[in-house]
Amino acid sequence: MDYVIEMIGITKDFPGIRANDDITLRLIRGEIHALLGENGAGKSTLMSVLFGLYQPDAGEIRKNGAPIQIKNPNDANAAGIGMVHQHFKLVHNMTVLENIILGVETVKRGVLKMDEARKKVVALSERYGLRIDPDAKIEDTTVGMQQRVEILKMLYRDNEVLIFDEPTAVLTPQEIEELMHIMRGLAAEGKSILFISHKLAEIKELADRCTVLRKGKCVGTVDVGPITKEELSEMMVGRKVNFSIEKDRAKPGEPVLTLEHVSMRSRLHHKLLLDDVSFSVRRGEIVTIAGIDGNGQSELVYAISGLGAIDSGRILMRGEDISKASIRRRNDMKISHIPEDRHKHGLVLDFTLSENLVLKSYQTGEYQNHGFIRFGQVEKHADELIRRFDIRSGQGGATIARSMSGGNQQKAIVAREISLEPDLLIAVQPTRGLDVGAIEYIHKQLVAARDRGCAVLLISLELDEVKSLSDEIFVIFEGRIVAQLDPEAASIQEIGLYMAGSKRGSAS
Amino acid sequence: MDTIFFLFQQMMFFSIPLLIVALGGMFSERSGVVNIALEGIMVMGAFASIFFLNKTQSFMSGQGQLLLAILIAAAAGLIFAFFHAYAAISLRSDQTISGTALNMFAPAFAVYMARTLQANGVQQIPFTNTFFIQKVPGLGDIPLLGPLLFQNCYITTYVGLVILAVAAFVLYKTKFGLRLRACGEHPQAADSVGVNVYKIRYAGVLISGALAGLGGLVFVVPTSTSFNATVAGYGFLALAVLIFGQWKPLRILLSALFFGLMKTIAAAYSGIPGLQNLPISSDVYKMIPYIATLIVLAFTSAKSQAPRASGVPYDKSTR
Amino acid sequence: MKKQGLRNASASLIAILAGLLAGFVILLVTKPESALQGLGIILKGGFNNGMKGLGQVLYLATPLIMTGLSVGFAFKTGLFNIGAPGQLMVGGAVSVWVGCTWKFLPGGVHWVMALLMGMLAGGAWGLVPGFFKAMLNVNEVISSIMMNYIGMYGINFLIRGSAVFDSTKNQTKNVLAGAVIPKGGLDKVFYNLTGNYVDVSSVNAGILIAIFLAIVMYILLNKTTFGYELRACGFNKSAARYAGISEKRTIMLSMVLAGALAGTAGALMYLAPSSGMHIHVAEVLSAEGFNGIPVALLGLSNPIGIIFSALFIAYISVGGSYLQSLKYMQEVIDIIIAMVIYFSAFSLLVRDLIVKVGKRRAQRSAGGEGA
Repeated sequence: MDYVIEMIGITKDFPGIRANDDITLRLIRGEIHALLGENGAGKSTLMSVLFGLYQPDAGEIRKNGAPIQIKNPNDANAAGIGMVHQHFKLVHNMTVLENIILGVETVKRGVLKMDEARKKVVALSERYGLRIDPDAKIEDTTVGMQQRVEILKMLYRDNEVLIFDEPTAVLTPQEIEELMHIMRGLAAEGKSILFISHKLAEIKELADRCTVLRKGKCVGTVDVGPITKEELSEMMVGRKVNFSIEKDRAKPGEPVLTLEHVSMRSRLHHKLLLDDVSFSVRRGEIVTIAGIDGNGQSELVYAISGLGAIDSGRILMRGEDISKASIRRRNDMKISHIPEDRHKHGLVLDFTLSENLVLKSYQTGEYQNHGFIRFGQVEKHADELIRRFDIRSGQGGATIARSMSGGNQQKAIVAREISLEPDLLIAVQPTRGLDVGAIEYIHKQLVAARDRGCAVLLISLELDEVKSLSDEIFVIFEGRIVAQLDPEAASIQEIGLYMAGSKRGSAS
Repeated sequence: MDTIFFLFQQMMFFSIPLLIVALGGMFSERSGVVNIALEGIMVMGAFASIFFLNKTQSFMSGQGQLLLAILIAAAAGLIFAFFHAYAAISLRSDQTISGTALNMFAPAFAVYMARTLQANGVQQIPFTNTFFIQKVPGLGDIPLLGPLLFQNCYITTYVGLVILAVAAFVLYKTKFGLRLRACGEHPQAADSVGVNVYKIRYAGVLISGALAGLGGLVFVVPTSTSFNATVAGYGFLALAVLIFGQWKPLRILLSALFFGLMKTIAAAYSGIPGLQNLPISSDVYKMIPYIATLIVLAFTSAKSQAPRASGVPYDKSTR
Repeated sequence: MKKQGLRNASASLIAILAGLLAGFVILLVTKPESALQGLGIILKGGFNNGMKGLGQVLYLATPLIMTGLSVGFAFKTGLFNIGAPGQLMVGGAVSVWVGCTWKFLPGGVHWVMALLMGMLAGGAWGLVPGFFKAMLNVNEVISSIMMNYIGMYGINFLIRGSAVFDSTKNQTKNVLAGAVIPKGGLDKVFYNLTGNYVDVSSVNAGILIAIFLAIVMYILLNKTTFGYELRACGFNKSAARYAGISEKRTIMLSMVLAGALAGTAGALMYLAPSSGMHIHVAEVLSAEGFNGIPVALLGLSNPIGIIFSALFIAYISVGGSYLQSLKYMQEVIDIIIAMVIYFSAFSLLVRDLIVKVGKRRAQRSAGGEGA
């Protein structure tokens, strides 16, 4: 077998966790090889080892049959290995050309010589169909172009083995098609491609073979052609996964949250982040805003929660105009918010679990008396929530939040927000980065809140979650609501097309 | 007209050290390390070089002696800055605390050494100033430019302007400058293409040390006859110049000139016809540069865009 | 949680030991034969002069506790109050002015009023960098430093032009008797008796006031909703915003309090009997103001810890004043303090490293939870 790269028996430990456990992966020359696994399965770690960002604690790497040492990205480059990371490693205020040559600059006695580099870059760009503007600053380019810049970085260094880490996570369906075309082209030219993904449909369409990782171990390597998505999924999670969620029909009441012609302009670029957005969420229903990351969902949530200011339009809560209300006021009006970034907004990591659980209620009469905190009440509250929501922590309420696992931190936030018995619950990607068990649990909690009469606004990127949880779907694209869909009637393909802006409907 | 020439010449004495130190701060911050120890480094550089002048003035003088002093000042600053670099980069500790430690160490050290090493146990170190250039032959006669730049000056002015040119060139036109800027904005990106972030940051901080040390000497020589273990808050004014100059060489020059002018008015107001007759105490004049700094910062800080990774210690294990 | 406190204290201990070692090295280099003796004098601290010496330690610690509280309180909120010298000066000057001119106040009330006015003045001075940071995004380090110089020159200017200026001695007049902080009986405890001469220390009720205020700060920080908001802002201002806490209000209030604490330091210094009672006009930024920084760092910004670290710094400072007998300059104490700050910047990391290794060992044997 013509293996261009072999990773044999790779083990990598981090404090408290074995990220890679005796993994063997072999890459055939000219193939497209997928690396599949849930969040935290060890895929990124394994590729970082290959790229020299980490050193394995055991195992060896071979190129063309001969063992090699990869101590840093330079060694990886020298071995012809390149990597496009999930979070692009581009310097925002430098140009495309500067970013491509960074690290391998052509110089004459220390002074940069850009002309030769420019010629090579333009030639590569034309040969592989990668449209770029060499003199544009990265901060002014689209996500699609930034990814092409990352690919050019690899080609400029004559890399033969190309690693892609979740390449489609931030692309529109249109850009995904383009990328697949590019990847097939690269493979046809003799490049060998490894790509990390957790999207079964893409793997089925693009890959020749697939290696599945689960909790740091290699479950197996299969040919993608004959295998089904269900079989792949089972390898990934270890048991038959129930793709649908059990819930009754919704019984929506009167509108709780209403947005009227809300617009928000960017402070940096004068771009419209929200463009004339209008919709309502009613009591007893789950409304989902679907869309690709970066199309205004975050800004929408900031506008409703008060973390960001709008430039025009009105936001009404139970009929009252809260467009200019303070965050404290909105919290008092029974708006709960499970934030996108649990470490940035959701928790004060250096506070204890108990202190975090009263983050929004410490100032109420229940937990303070003339300015002095009623610690007894705070502890009681924490114990109750820990019990009800099964939050695991080292020392109960006294645990420092930073030492808790991601899943339990999220559970703590969900517990706090739901137990406030809100009229409006905003949940932004509440299950991101969690294992299947935690995901099921949170879905159940959201449905339960809905059934209690809460209005739930869900922001999600996972189409399966969107379809199965929602009572109503609004699709957002470039700051506009472009579609209002019935989850039972609309297909995933249709939702995807709206998300990509390829279809424009009317939103009421 | 003569007043203007006089003012401009005086302004150089205050602006050039600000320029040099601020450029040093620029290299450090653009590589990603906040360096508030510029004040302390200036003191160390001034101390070492002025002590040298004091000890050699019996057998050395003139521009040659000054040039040697410049080298010593830069070397002292570089060595002292190493401690900040080590704490901030290798040990990833809080850069503000480390900088403050250096700021408190330097004057204490300077006083201690001065009192210990000088025969009379005094803390001031006097020096004879044999470097004043009344007129540069030839260049000093050029109309307008002559009196502005080539009369009543020191070679340190030209050293400063050369440093500015070199700094701008290095930052934007060399491989080192490109890598430095990448480390200050997105060290993970630089690391992923094989740039040694730690080495570059060390270079940035050490350069800032050399320049700040040099700046200390350049500040003391034209403005006093002895060194008294202080640079009167100049290192912090240089930080304000850096922020006001938005970390770009040319804008740093302009803001250094502005602040230098403020300082000049404060120090030389008795030489300005009109001002010397006003019943304003010298204390009030001394406050002017600091008040001006506050006002300027008030208006410019809202949109300030520091290098993104500045002040955040780089840890390889965080992807 | 108790374990955490002990571990934190050990970090400070490491920094202290390292600082003292560095000081010893300097003594060694300067005059090797007396170095060990010199170190001994430093370590003996206040005990170099019996009860009076100990009294002097308490006397010197008084402003240090206050400036340490000032800097430490700001640290807890995520701010670096390097403006303590200016706030101290302004607070001290206002308290002296009240002490000299508000003759209409009766004895016991006069000094309390002077103290309170000094507190308020310091608070107002601290509000400026707080306002600039909260509303205009100006870095509080630079604005505080500017305020230090503006305060110094401004106070000098105002004193020189005022009715309380004594131009022959270049200082203010002494405050009236009723405005002097009472000795509080401490002069009956801290004195040395040599023959018939009673050598009394300068210690006064100020130390008791300082300790009391430290306890008040501890309660404020840990037991009140205001303290909760401050700590939330200091730890994670995004989450604090999300919780509805007004970041701007918190920053400004915090700086006002920090300024008030530093202003109190000035008042306690200049209203003290014997060595206090007037302000000398000079162009020097208060060392007590800057020394609030190492006090806060060593005390880990914990008000109770600050009491102890202030006592420590005062202790070695008193020791340092006796070094002259060995022909060492007492500035070596300032060098030691600077080194302590330097080492405290990363002693926490050293301690964290030890903790991490210990955790890893524990988790390996127990098979702990993943990230």
